[in-house]
Amino acid sequence: MQCENLFPDVVRSARCTAVWQKMASHFSGVLQLTDLDDFITPSQECVKPVKVEKKQGKSVAKIQIEDDGSYFQVNQDGKLQKLEKAKITLNDCLACSGCITSAESVLITQQSHEELYRVLQRNKQGSSEQMVVVVSVSPQSRASLAARFNLSSTDAGRRLTTFFKSLGVHHVFDTGFSRTFSLLESQREFIERFQRREQDKKSLPMLASACPGWICYAEKTHGDFIIPYISTTRSPQQVMGSLVKSFFAEQQGLTPQQIYHVAVMPCYDKKLEASRSDFYLTESETREVDCVITSGEVLKMLEQESLSLSDVDPGSLDTMFSSVCGDELLRHEGSGSGGYLHHVYTHAAKELFGVEVKDITYKTLKNKDFQEVTLEKDGTVLLRFAATYGFRNIQNLVQKLKRGKSPYHFVEVMACPSGCLNGGGQVRPLPDQSNKELLQQVEDLYRAERPVTPEGEERVAELYCTWLQNVGEDRARQLLHTQYHAVEKATNGLTIKWVS
Amino acid sequence: MKEVLNKLHKFSAHPDSRCWYVAWNPSGTLLASCGGDRAIRIWKKEGDSWECQNVLSEGHQRTVRKVAWSPCGNYLASASFDATTCIWAKKGDDFECLTVLEGHENEVKCVAWAPSGSLLATCSRDKSVWVWEVDEEEEYECVSVVNAHTQDVKHVVWHPTQELLASASYDNTVRLYREEDDDWVCKATMEGHTSTVWSLAFDPSGQRLVSCSDDRTVKIWKECHSGEGDNSTDTVWKCVCTLSGFHGRTVYDVAWCRLTGALATACGDDGVRVFKEDENSDPDQTTFSLVVHAAKAHNQDVNCVAWHPKEAGLLASCSDDGEIAIWSYQAEA
Repeated sequence: MQCENLFPDVVRSARCTAVWQKMASHFSGVLQLTDLDDFITPSQECVKPVKVEKKQGKSVAKIQIEDDGSYFQVNQDGKLQKLEKAKITLNDCLACSGCITSAESVLITQQSHEELYRVLQRNKQGSSEQMVVVVSVSPQSRASLAARFNLSSTDAGRRLTTFFKSLGVHHVFDTGFSRTFSLLESQREFIERFQRREQDKKSLPMLASACPGWICYAEKTHGDFIIPYISTTRSPQQVMGSLVKSFFAEQQGLTPQQIYHVAVMPCYDKKLEASRSDFYLTESETREVDCVITSGEVLKMLEQESLSLSDVDPGSLDTMFSSVCGDELLRHEGSGSGGYLHHVYTHAAKELFGVEVKDITYKTLKNKDFQEVTLEKDGTVLLRFAATYGFRNIQNLVQKLKRGKSPYHFVEVMACPSGCLNGGGQVRPLPDQSNKELLQQVEDLYRAERPVTPEGEERVAELYCTWLQNVGEDRARQLLHTQYHAVEKATNGLTIKWVS
Repeated sequence: MKEVLNKLHKFSAHPDSRCWYVAWNPSGTLLASCGGDRAIRIWKKEGDSWECQNVLSEGHQRTVRKVAWSPCGNYLASASFDATTCIWAKKGDDFECLTVLEGHENEVKCVAWAPSGSLLATCSRDKSVWVWEVDEEEEYECVSVVNAHTQDVKHVVWHPTQELLASASYDNTVRLYREEDDDWVCKATMEGHTSTVWSLAFDPSGQRLVSCSDDRTVKIWKECHSGEGDNSTDTVWKCVCTLSGFHGRTVYDVAWCRLTGALATACGDDGVRVFKEDENSDPDQTTFSLVVHAAKAHNQDVNCVAWHPKEAGLLASCSDDGEIAIWSYQAEA
């Protein structure tokens, strides 16, 4: 197989694609796309141009691809010159507009359960660079694993703590705890945006920012237009990143690199989120979240250890950064995607209009993944919020915004249909189980935990008073907020124009 | 009795460009064409010649690949490589761009209206098929994005009476979709072609579907109820006929005449062919015969064939050479 290399500065896309495919095939089981249709899926072959060292010579050369997948440049004298393999980092992927997302098909070598095993193995072998390993488990993941093993969500959380610790993990936290910060910050941000809505036309609607699939899509497809609307509040995963690599590190007398921080998430796109340069600590050369593994990958780990979660002891919880009451894990009210709409709405109704919201009535619009909530007083709509899940509904939301026809003040946007409990990284249904049945079960388990209000979480309030007060306002903002970057459309010769 | 295909007219429609597609309005009074010149043209027969009534050149930034009339004939949709679909409203003799549907990531390959006129389907190189709904205020909303194909989707077509959608792709398959639990899902996949499936057409009753391909064949598929339990809504579409050996190159388009039941094909070998179903043939293993072959129908690839909706035997075709031809298919006197 031979092809003309018409772009001497870059390796042709076919090469990158080949590298992708090779890498992806290794993980095909894990990275398999879900059979549901509405997820944001990778749409085309990777066309990311990769810079290579320009060698002297003619600008047109032939490249030969050997059976083993290695590449040789055929020089004019007929001599073969081995070409270096193009390597694409996750950051290349994030910065490229070649395809809109998604992490599901992108191999992330630094982000797999195998990488976690490698770190634990190095510790066991007495490496001189011992790492403190921290695992932060999301409430959606524990509900997903609870469903697979017929456990309650809290019970699954306790058993997962035992399981990870038996592998050599030092601390197991709960991202429900860091979500409290995300909710409180979202509430505050909304009030602030609402109050400047007259001066700043782009302050509203505020669009939720916890879903990395949505963020990735927004940055790549609607860039500068959509970014001002997106809440700057960090997701629970990335607030936990701040907590672990800043507060916890300092408290334990560790440098951020001495901690290996793993998040267990219902979603592959969370891997992309962890890899964003915004969450890289340049000085200490480490990420706030080093590795993200999905609920499904945790199941794989259990299988690898020949364990059923039901056979693991329900040990005690690690309460340092966990939302707990006694030995019970707690949840937040509202959707299984974090309850952003619920909390921002309730808070805004009270703060802005003095209304105590008891019950929230969700009105289903076009489909179950597009719901609306309104606060009315004397026939006037004071607040209009929406929950918009799945690609099709995101499309309509964005188009409405572009036409100036969006009636909303706040939108909880999630890329997955049915939200995070149905995330692409959740445990798949058993052969005799429909996805719908499983989702219902996961949702019931998630809701069975007792709710806590963000304001009622005393230790979070304490951290605001101590940790965040001490670091100063600017630093506190950095620790709890982030920023977004429009990705320019690729305009190089590799964007092939098709004829028919 | 011998059938013939008489060329009635031939005219340059998209000069110095390709003419990709032609579509008759439901009453058959207008013919819309589109091409590589980014324009849509509306043609009307005046006396003995075909006159261009409108040129819609402002809507798209790149090639316009397909056009489709709404069942009421008051709207025209155009699918373009600029990743958008335009909806044009017919106001008297003029056309006005009503809305632009955005969302596909890249080239939109085809657009089609459902028989009710309230649903629209589009497909793209981004591998997805989108279903749109239009409300009373002429607002279009996306109701579904289906990623069933693994490659570029070339064509979409609706069932003549039901809300059943079919698509054809570069992944060599044909897929069928229905609405289920407020979303559209792929209900059947037809595998059999060995290369890109370029186009599709339902028969007048909707019981059969014809597909044409880069593998130079035309296949006819028939719905068979799988019979696995009463609550099984899944259907199987089986290939009941393959027309091979007739086409010298890629078959780009196929049209099933609602009036005569004849099949017309557009081929990359510059020819237009008409096939007729053999009388008394077994519906589960039917046979079609080539009845007419216009070998040099056009100077270059024939991209599209379209039967007139009212006048039996009237056929329009268009080509890479930018020309449109109007044919009369009839029994030789």
